[in-house]
Amino acid sequence: MADKIKLFVNGEEVEVEAGKNLIDAVGAVGIEIPHLCYHPALGADGNCRMCLVGIEDGRPPLVPACKTPAQEGMKVLLDAEHIKKIQHDVMEFELINHPIDCPVCDQAGECKLQDYYMSCDQKPSRMTVPQVTKNKKMDFGGGVIHDQERCVVCGRCVRFLRQITKTGELGIINRTDDARVNIFPGRPIDNRYGINVVDLCPVGAMTSSDFRFKQRVWFLKKASGVCHGCSKGCSITIDHNKEKNKDDIIYRFRPRFNGQVNGYFICDEGRLSYKSENENRLTAAFIGKVEREISDVLTAAKKELEMSKKAVFLISPDASLEQMVAVKALAAKLGATLSGYSDGYIKKGDGDDYLIQDDKAANRQGLLLLGIDTTKESFEKAVSEADLFVNFASDLSRSYEQDALTKLLTGKKTIVCATHESAFNGQATITIPVRSYSEYSGSVINCDNILQRFEKAVTKNNELLDICEVAAEFGCPLQTPAEAYAELQQVIGMLKEYQPATIPAEGLNLNDSEAANVTA
Amino acid sequence: MSDRSQLISTGEPFEFDKKRDAEFERLIKRYPTRESMILPALWLTQEQEGWVSQEAIGYIADRIGTFAAKVYEAATFYTMYNLKPTGKYHICVCRTLSCWLRGKQEIVDYLRDEVGVTPGKKTEDGKFSLEEVECLGHCGTAPVVQINGEFYENMDVEQLKSLLATLE
Repeated sequence: MADKIKLFVNGEEVEVEAGKNLIDAVGAVGIEIPHLCYHPALGADGNCRMCLVGIEDGRPPLVPACKTPAQEGMKVLLDAEHIKKIQHDVMEFELINHPIDCPVCDQAGECKLQDYYMSCDQKPSRMTVPQVTKNKKMDFGGGVIHDQERCVVCGRCVRFLRQITKTGELGIINRTDDARVNIFPGRPIDNRYGINVVDLCPVGAMTSSDFRFKQRVWFLKKASGVCHGCSKGCSITIDHNKEKNKDDIIYRFRPRFNGQVNGYFICDEGRLSYKSENENRLTAAFIGKVEREISDVLTAAKKELEMSKKAVFLISPDASLEQMVAVKALAAKLGATLSGYSDGYIKKGDGDDYLIQDDKAANRQGLLLLGIDTTKESFEKAVSEADLFVNFASDLSRSYEQDALTKLLTGKKTIVCATHESAFNGQATITIPVRSYSEYSGSVINCDNILQRFEKAVTKNNELLDICEVAAEFGCPLQTPAEAYAELQQVIGMLKEYQPATIPAEGLNLNDSEAANVTA
Repeated sequence: MSDRSQLISTGEPFEFDKKRDAEFERLIKRYPTRESMILPALWLTQEQEGWVSQEAIGYIADRIGTFAAKVYEAATFYTMYNLKPTGKYHICVCRTLSCWLRGKQEIVDYLRDEVGVTPGKKTEDGKFSLEEVECLGHCGTAPVVQINGEFYENMDVEQLKSLLATLE
């Protein structure tokens, strides 16, 4: 734990973490100091002047909180009249040339200008001269659309691209009231993290070309998720909504702060991977190519399992730990061989030294920890010896060409549990649609051995079965999620101290004590 | 201040001539970081071409090894860099506080009404161009006018009239 210090805010004593600036220190205990340009990932810039506070120790009457380290015994003034006046004055400056087009602005509802207008300003404009006009709807590339008139020139986007991605596509052009953010002509935003500037923008100047005009943000339901785009497992917020007479769909992923995993950001690819949760989903159950009721299909599948002499189960490296233990328990009961073969999920050379990983599987560490074999040799050997192949949502098309796959499975019965439509589904003896990761809760372990829990976000009109439920139908000894979790606690010692709901939001670092505790 | 963000493209690649190239290499040794070379490089460009084009900004950025947006920032921030070709005589009228209070507007109005040039524009014959610029550092002798780099202090309309008459 970090050291604690005591200081006074408006005369009241509060205990805060040492070594932080005032905004972060008192922000952590729920006292907000208004600020626009400061962001903890980008450091203090001090250009917006919104965070000016008083410190009663003989310094100048106003100091920027973003550049002031919290110190023991400090007396911070936030509610004095002169502080409120300066906040109001800064807001008035910010709004002189702001178009105030909130009704058509995507940021409305999560806009700092709106918030601070309500908390610090609430005065009509006194301006009688025409506003400075600038450019609107500028395509900066990389899925970012910019409105120069809404911009408060805090420079967060510019600093992000210089400090974090080190690509520096944006700059602040001109000076004084004509200052504006722009790209250099012909050099648009071109990096794999560019859309983060949309989240960073405290106002509606940066909008995502993918999300803009799709939803008012106050209609969106939020759930804590974990990105399944690669093995980094960035913490995300899943924003979804079920409009009247429509299905529950996801509108965007946003990064959710996790100091252990992704910090404040996610990559663009992961951010846009929400689309695959909405599109091309398998929703119907099939026997051969004929669509049937799910109950009939499950009965048929059970019959196949009973008739089979030797079965091979393949589990997806994206599956949750709960699903993995359930399928593992089922395989043990039925005497089937379990494989986690998924070399095709690894895209060599695609990763970088920041967040993106070569391995596109969300829970390969889970496979390894549960002792599930992932080698190609043993998988193919097992398949060649088996008469039934059951695929639990692993995307084989990543590892095999269609022809090679057909050849591998020739003469075998196949049961496929799939989240998405694919050519392979059509060839299966039995096809069962299952939920994808935004539709169940569970845990995954990322490439750095950090176990994270994610919530069920989406509830479809036509609720599919979860892999755990399918396994339970097939006779898995772990019939409920609670039983699966209890089994997990046996395998991962660290989990004994936690219930699913009490696993911390930033996850559990299994490196600390886990290696010795794994009993699988 | 006017919007200077609209750069002009020549459509031709830019590079320093031999003399500026050598000067660039000589100067860059002076500085702790290569980025310090942004302003001198913009000066060298202006010396060579008389103005700074979009291509020149891209060239400087690549030559220094920095972001083009950074050079773009500097070139648009400082009014001393001309972002379009100037007239034969480039008139800069200071618009900052002291000069504003001491009558820069009369000078600008005179140039508009009698000479036919407005800020950011050229006369039709290309003889004069005008820019309202930020502080020229001669506040004690405001208002100040700069013509092709020469300073003329304590200016008024009468003096400017006779000054312009001497220019060929």
